[in-house]
Amino acid sequence: MGRLKQKGKAGAAKAYVTRSAAVKKLQCSLADFRRLCILKGIFPREPRNKKKANKGSSAPTSFYYAKDIAYLAHEPVLKKLREHKAFAKKLSRALGRGEWSSAQSLEENKPVYRLDHIIKERYPTFIDAVRDIDDALCMIFLFASLPSNARVAPSLIENCSRLASEWQLYVMHTRALRKVFLSIKGVYYQAEVMDQTVTWLVPYQFTQSIPVDVDVRVMLTFLELYQTLVGFVFFKLYTDAGLVYPPPQDTDKDESGAGVGAFRLQESTSQSSSAPRAKEVEVNGKRVSTKDVRQTIKSIAASAHGEAEADLPAADSTVAEEDDEEFVQHPSTSNPDETTSLPTLRSLAAIPQSTTSKLFAPYTFWLSRESSRPIFEFIVRSYGGRIGWPESSGSGSPIDETDETITHVIIDRPVVERPDETEEEKERRRRRKYVQPQWVVDCINAGRILLEESYLQGKTLPPHLSPFGDYVGAYDPTAGTTGEDAEMEEDEEDVEEDAVMEGEDDETAETVRPETAALKAAAEAEDEAALRAAELQAEAAGVDYGTFEKEAKKAAKKAAKTPAKADGEAEQEMNKMMMSNKQRKLYERMKYGEKKRSTEKQNLEQKKRVIEKEKRKRSKP
Amino acid sequence: MGAAELNKKSKKRKAADEAPAPVPFPEDVGLDMHSEDEGGDEAEADDEDDGEADEFPEIDTRSDSEGEDGSAGDEEEDESEDEEDEEESEADTEDDDLRIYPKPKTVISDITGQPKRVYPEIEPDYDSDSSTEDTPNRVGNIPMHWYDDLPHLGYDINGKKVLRAARGDELDKFLETVEDPSAWTSAFDKNIQMDKPLTEEELDLIRRLQENENPDAGYNPYEPTVEWFTGKGKEEVMPLSAAPEPKRRWVPSKWEKQKVMKIVRAIRQGRIIPNKPKTASSQPQSYAIWNDEPSNVPAPLPAPKPRLPTNAESYNPPEEYLPTEEERKQWEETDKEDRERDFMPQKYGALRLVPAYDQFIQERFSRQLDLYLAPRVQRVKLQIDPNSLIPKLPSPSSLKPFPVYKSLQVSHDGHRVRALSVSPDGAWAVSGDENGNVGLWEVMVGKEVKRWKFQGKVGAVEWCPRTDVSFFVVGIEEQLHFIIPPNLSTPILLATQTLLAPATLPPAPATPSPVKWVSTAAAASSSDSPILTLHLPPSSGLPKQVVWHRKGDYLSTVSSGEGQGGVWIHQISRRHSQAPFRKVKGSIQLVLFHPTKPHFFVATQRYVRMYNLAEQKLLKTLMPGIRWISCMDVHPSGDHLIVGGYDRKLCWFDLELSDKPYKILRYHTRALRSVHFHPTYPLFASSSDDGSIQVFHARVYNDLMTNPLIVPLKILRGHNIKDGLGVLQVRWCPRQPWLVSAGADGEVAVWCS
Repeated sequence: MGRLKQKGKAGAAKAYVTRSAAVKKLQCSLADFRRLCILKGIFPREPRNKKKANKGSSAPTSFYYAKDIAYLAHEPVLKKLREHKAFAKKLSRALGRGEWSSAQSLEENKPVYRLDHIIKERYPTFIDAVRDIDDALCMIFLFASLPSNARVAPSLIENCSRLASEWQLYVMHTRALRKVFLSIKGVYYQAEVMDQTVTWLVPYQFTQSIPVDVDVRVMLTFLELYQTLVGFVFFKLYTDAGLVYPPPQDTDKDESGAGVGAFRLQESTSQSSSAPRAKEVEVNGKRVSTKDVRQTIKSIAASAHGEAEADLPAADSTVAEEDDEEFVQHPSTSNPDETTSLPTLRSLAAIPQSTTSKLFAPYTFWLSRESSRPIFEFIVRSYGGRIGWPESSGSGSPIDETDETITHVIIDRPVVERPDETEEEKERRRRRKYVQPQWVVDCINAGRILLEESYLQGKTLPPHLSPFGDYVGAYDPTAGTTGEDAEMEEDEEDVEEDAVMEGEDDETAETVRPETAALKAAAEAEDEAALRAAELQAEAAGVDYGTFEKEAKKAAKKAAKTPAKADGEAEQEMNKMMMSNKQRKLYERMKYGEKKRSTEKQNLEQKKRVIEKEKRKRSKP
Repeated sequence: MGAAELNKKSKKRKAADEAPAPVPFPEDVGLDMHSEDEGGDEAEADDEDDGEADEFPEIDTRSDSEGEDGSAGDEEEDESEDEEDEEESEADTEDDDLRIYPKPKTVISDITGQPKRVYPEIEPDYDSDSSTEDTPNRVGNIPMHWYDDLPHLGYDINGKKVLRAARGDELDKFLETVEDPSAWTSAFDKNIQMDKPLTEEELDLIRRLQENENPDAGYNPYEPTVEWFTGKGKEEVMPLSAAPEPKRRWVPSKWEKQKVMKIVRAIRQGRIIPNKPKTASSQPQSYAIWNDEPSNVPAPLPAPKPRLPTNAESYNPPEEYLPTEEERKQWEETDKEDRERDFMPQKYGALRLVPAYDQFIQERFSRQLDLYLAPRVQRVKLQIDPNSLIPKLPSPSSLKPFPVYKSLQVSHDGHRVRALSVSPDGAWAVSGDENGNVGLWEVMVGKEVKRWKFQGKVGAVEWCPRTDVSFFVVGIEEQLHFIIPPNLSTPILLATQTLLAPATLPPAPATPSPVKWVSTAAAASSSDSPILTLHLPPSSGLPKQVVWHRKGDYLSTVSSGEGQGGVWIHQISRRHSQAPFRKVKGSIQLVLFHPTKPHFFVATQRYVRMYNLAEQKLLKTLMPGIRWISCMDVHPSGDHLIVGGYDRKLCWFDLELSDKPYKILRYHTRALRSVHFHPTYPLFASSSDDGSIQVFHARVYNDLMTNPLIVPLKILRGHNIKDGLGVLQVRWCPRQPWLVSAGADGEVAVWCS
């Protein structure tokens, strides 16, 4: 006979602890516990059976893994938090007694915790960290745009904006930006870093204030973690790209609102730098990066079927190198080469990023003052374009408005006639293309330069669609009305016409009525005999045979379609009786979801049809 | 307290007599004050200026050094001082009438030149001594509520009643408070039951208590220290201990030096950096954290990423995404948590017109709450076609024949038809309604051949399954009638008559049964009246069910009445009835004979029990899990049983397999009323209060490995629902795949294939 099992000694009762039990065990306050959970990434779990986990009570509580809590008990941060509690007591005592010097020395030696080990624990490999960087970036970009106040220190805001700029610099440098979406919430960016897609949301440039129903402590704790995480990730990204981290900042430029331009990317040239750079090899005194090696391999592969292009990849590699070195400062020098290297690019089309990442390389943009500089500077520079802006949008513009190389002006204003334009200005206006900001984003999402026609200044813009797509089978606004729809539409129109005709009949004469009645009879006729009777009736009424036949056929088709379907459905409906309860519930849930999606789609299609019809109606008269 | 006070007073007087009294004060009270005054002056002089204080020690020393007289005088002085204090405190705490001292005036003394307090002269009449002034009420310190109901308050010194002063009502009280400006400084005196104004001293006391001061006005917290044992000239000449002063009092500590030196050394070596710059250490430093080998501990699961924005979120979406007025209203009306989307699609003509998103921070915050407060569950997403969950069954068209349409209908004038039976040859059917009518009609044409009228409801009708005789049983209130249908062939009629009304009755059983068998003579019998009538015991109620054994000799009835008399088994050949169960657990709903074995099924409300009648023991208890069983039937093979319940379930039992149902079907929307297996075809039907009849194909295989195949074939609709009751009884025609059904709407229908 086995040992008797005691209640609460095994299974869910031991594996889970409630939150209050966890707080009691850790001997810390609830606020400290929350902080620890945020930093360590520990979250509540849902036990299979709540009653078993909570000693028979079904009161609503949140449960944690007992092992998670045991693991928290040895956390150095928890120790520091306890030390901090003691420190706070000492400090308040010193202040209360007016012992200023001891208070100061206490303050100087106040316990500070580091989160390095937590980062390493939570993200054992670099890829893990990059994969989870989305939320961190969103928060950092949000706090970079917030005003400082009593609860949010200015140094924090400053650090966040520095980190935001560093991320943007990195993305611009590596040409990692893939998709941009202008939404009503803000701008979504998606970049591909280390083969991971990173999506982040940046609010539009408006001053926001933290609402009262938001717990700032929680946000700041998250931000604390995110700052550390992002710092380490950036360090690794920068050093892997052969850059110095942190990039030196030009304070003068920063103060004059240069934003990203206040930072200067610096190649880490000397070997003295502590970061190991195993990937770089010196060949004939020239630095060869992995990228170069890869490109050379590609060029060799390309030369197998095109000897004529054999020497071009080398040129391309030099271009790439030049780009790397001089980043964005003088990209125009690479412009003339661009045309010659195009065939090579085509041969390298296997790598999509090389084609699209230089989308704007041949163009120079001028940003008019009403469009947001941080957004478009980042987008255009990520795709290799040059961009300038007026002084009112911040300093650091590489070109001014009269620059001859400007090809596009990003403008978001209605067209205004200006009679006092000089001849030179008019000439300039003729040479440049004035496009609305959406054009830039749509070009990126399409992966090619779109025609500027529909995006010109003052035009009504085509809809801006999400580049992220939707679930499979969702409504696609770009698709035209399908055949079935068209048919349905036709039917509808027929019905309408019929209705009109009937109306006319009513108005004109009662005598024409038998015709329609006969046709109706034909439509309703089910079997041969009835059909014949209907035919006779139609003949008597004076309907010609062609019309009758057409009507009859249509009706027959409709009739054939419906019962077969109905039969199958009825059978299936009956077979559902034999499903088990579990299966039935699953089936019903799936069907519910399916139905919901399809109604949503139909709803959208219906709306589109109505809108199109209205448009047609408006355009007709 | 009073006695002590008096004692002190007398003492005081004595002291005053002894003291050298100045002339202007004739009275002892005045004397007292004078002495007190002097003392006060002394203290003042001590306090205020040092110059005078220098003069005074002489007096001190004199008083110290002087003989007994002086010391006595001093003592007296002290005492009087004490007393004064005491009295002051008394004056403060007690009522006004105990106040002794009037207000003093401050004048310059002629003799000393110092300012002094002079009290007004007191008339030495009877009233002047406040100590003798008494309260009119002499009841003493007793709870005053003893006098609450009495017109007086107590008694004065002469034993006369002290009457209660007239007190006005609340309005008067209020008016008093308004009119009298001193009303707010008066308090209720319990002893005289009246409001009395507080004295200056009392008010002062209250003020002091409010301001957290010492309640004693004369208390000085900053008295100068009097050095009794220390100070100049008062050093101890004879110390208590002769031990020399320890060395540690003046030699610097060696251990302290060592400790300090340790720190100094550490600073010199750079282990401790005093006042290190804060900026360097406070800024978190980034370094290559991922350069060393990653631990082989798997990374915790990353948090699920938020959903990516769709077209609807665009600042310039296609127009069809914009909500209609109705949708917008609905969105605004739903709670924030219940909304499908957290935003309303909007369209802006240009990017510059897009405002800030007001929920931005809230959304970020709720995402963070999700990250650390929401339990996460990993779910496997099912990527299957929901239609693949529907079991694949053979098509009904391949399982023909089965009843498809209603071929004819027999009416019972709107009375509920609860009982229905089809003759073993399938040509005739009898149906009985609640009005007592029993109709016999042909299944093929629906023509009613004969109608009987009974008193009361017809609970059950059942044909005898034998083919060599032909009769049926009608169960009405406490009676079973055996009726021979008309137009029988003569041999059959004769056989039936001899069976039901034999010329020689079989011997009566040893134990007399409460069931009486009454038969009319065979010759006198006709098809109009029952040939045999069984009188069930009284108060047994309506027989709900009549079941024949396959061989047609036994029949069992279940009556609706309470008690043990519910179930009876009657044997025709022996004209004998017996109750098989002495004690029954639960109320019996249905019974059934096993088609091949001597087994007997009994259904109570929840369970179905299977008894072996030959061995007289319980074989098994089947648990269908139905709350209330309504109908049951056994498969012709005897291995399967179907049980229907009022809770809309139908359970299929494989008797070889388990006590639990092999399959539970729930497809009727209302309670099941009747189930029936077809005797020859693999069909069964169930009827329900939802007015529908469901026909199934039920194929049972001989090998034990294959599960029975149940295929729903057809839903027959045609009966109306009346008073919440639908189809009450279904029966199959034994030779054709035809179904006969009886409904609560008074119709009996035949369904043909």
